[in-house]
Amino acid sequence: MTTPRGPQPFAGQEKRLRLLAFVRQDSVVRVDKRVEDTAMVWPHLLVIEFIAAMLWSIGLFVIAAAFNAPLQDHATPDCTPNPSKAPWYLLNLQELLLHMDKGLAGVVVPTVWLTFMAAIPYIDRSREGVGIYFTSANGKRITIFAAVFATVGTFSLILLDAFLKAHGYIEFATEHFPGGKQLLPNYLIPIGVMIGLSVLLVLIVQRLYAANTREWMIAVYTGFVAVYLVLTVVGTSMRGPGMDLFPPWAVPSTHQCLEPNI
Amino acid sequence: MLEIPAQIWQKTKTSYIWRSLFRHGYPDSRKNQSLAVFTNVFLHLHPVKVRRHALAIPYTWCMGGLSFFLFLILTLTGTLLMFYYHPSVDGVYNAYGDIKDLETVVVFGQLLRNMHRWAAHGMVITVFLHMIRVFYTGSYKPPREFNWVIGTLLFFFTILLSYTGYLLPWDQLAFWAVTVGYEIARATPFIGDEFSFVVFGGFQLGPNALLRFYVLHVVGLPLATGFLIAIHFWRIRKDGGITGPL
Repeated sequence: MTTPRGPQPFAGQEKRLRLLAFVRQDSVVRVDKRVEDTAMVWPHLLVIEFIAAMLWSIGLFVIAAAFNAPLQDHATPDCTPNPSKAPWYLLNLQELLLHMDKGLAGVVVPTVWLTFMAAIPYIDRSREGVGIYFTSANGKRITIFAAVFATVGTFSLILLDAFLKAHGYIEFATEHFPGGKQLLPNYLIPIGVMIGLSVLLVLIVQRLYAANTREWMIAVYTGFVAVYLVLTVVGTSMRGPGMDLFPPWAVPSTHQCLEPNI
Repeated sequence: MLEIPAQIWQKTKTSYIWRSLFRHGYPDSRKNQSLAVFTNVFLHLHPVKVRRHALAIPYTWCMGGLSFFLFLILTLTGTLLMFYYHPSVDGVYNAYGDIKDLETVVVFGQLLRNMHRWAAHGMVITVFLHMIRVFYTGSYKPPREFNWVIGTLLFFFTILLSYTGYLLPWDQLAFWAVTVGYEIARATPFIGDEFSFVVFGGFQLGPNALLRFYVLHVVGLPLATGFLIAIHFWRIRKDGGITGPL
């Protein structure tokens, strides 16, 4: 008779241990916990946390002492500033509003994006590359490519939109497009461009870099981050009165109210 | 000469009161270092040991921890600001007048307001950077899928917290910035009017919107965020701590 391997139950406790066997290993979280190469939290991690907290406290204190939070005149519903801008972290959405229907830009697109973002781990289920920035050298190349692709693409689209609108695009669409200036310019074209460019990006990285699921996910996510940043920068520093497009150094500063609609 | 303070220290350490407070010696041994972490309510969020790579600042950027730290600073400064603030658009005590008073009358009021404002902007940035770090290191992968979902919600709640706070000074900047959001909410497909009516308390931005945003900003959203943070941290522990190369 061979001796069973591993730790054995104490006499009288065999039953209790056998019950545990009903809990299949797949039903509990399997984590990779290795005992080697560890450090004590006290002091090693706590020192880092303490120093980081102190540096940030001091930094915040210095910034708060040096720069005052803005405060303008009392709110007046009769005086609409030109331009009226959302907080900077929502200016990307406000920028998007200029190019498509309000509900699409402000509600549908962010909802779809947040849902997609939450779903990322359920699409990319492999454990490949955990804990490694960009997973691999290929991932790094894809990140750079997607960032350039999305930055150039978004800037080009904003410029194209400004150019077309300056040359009578809305009037042309109203007269000649089916559905007038609403259906195509406000819905179908923007939806088509957003989906089309995302799909194009994925196809390109699959073709050029033989991207797997993780890698095309990197491309899409990087594209989002780049678009988000470009829209924020344009909305913050390149939109002047009437939300017209200006170079960042030539945005006129106005503090006047818009003429009330009579 | 040094014997007297040493004796006092020794007596203090062995006294009944001291031992009721601290149940371990100075953390200079493995045993006491472990006890210091898991017998302390503030530190027991941590494991006793972490993998060495979890200490690498170039890996984590400390952004998750700093986001939480800013959340704590915002809670503290926000609570202090509440002592001076009335969520009302007119009357003797009104929101705008209170902010003016903070800037001119209240001792260190301006500093307090500035810290709250810049920490709020800072938290939006740190949460965003944390999300980027987690994505590029593949830290959403099994078994951390659900914690990534919680993180996405936390990003959304951070934006909501910042946005609701933006209206509270009730100045031109606040009013018209939030009006942009109001117009977006009204454009929600199918339920735009109903949705904006519930959130903003009317069909235009007014006293009801200020009160609703105030309540959401100081009670509803911080509670929801705190709840999600608790789950987020719990799951980090349960899912094996900070990621690292397999």
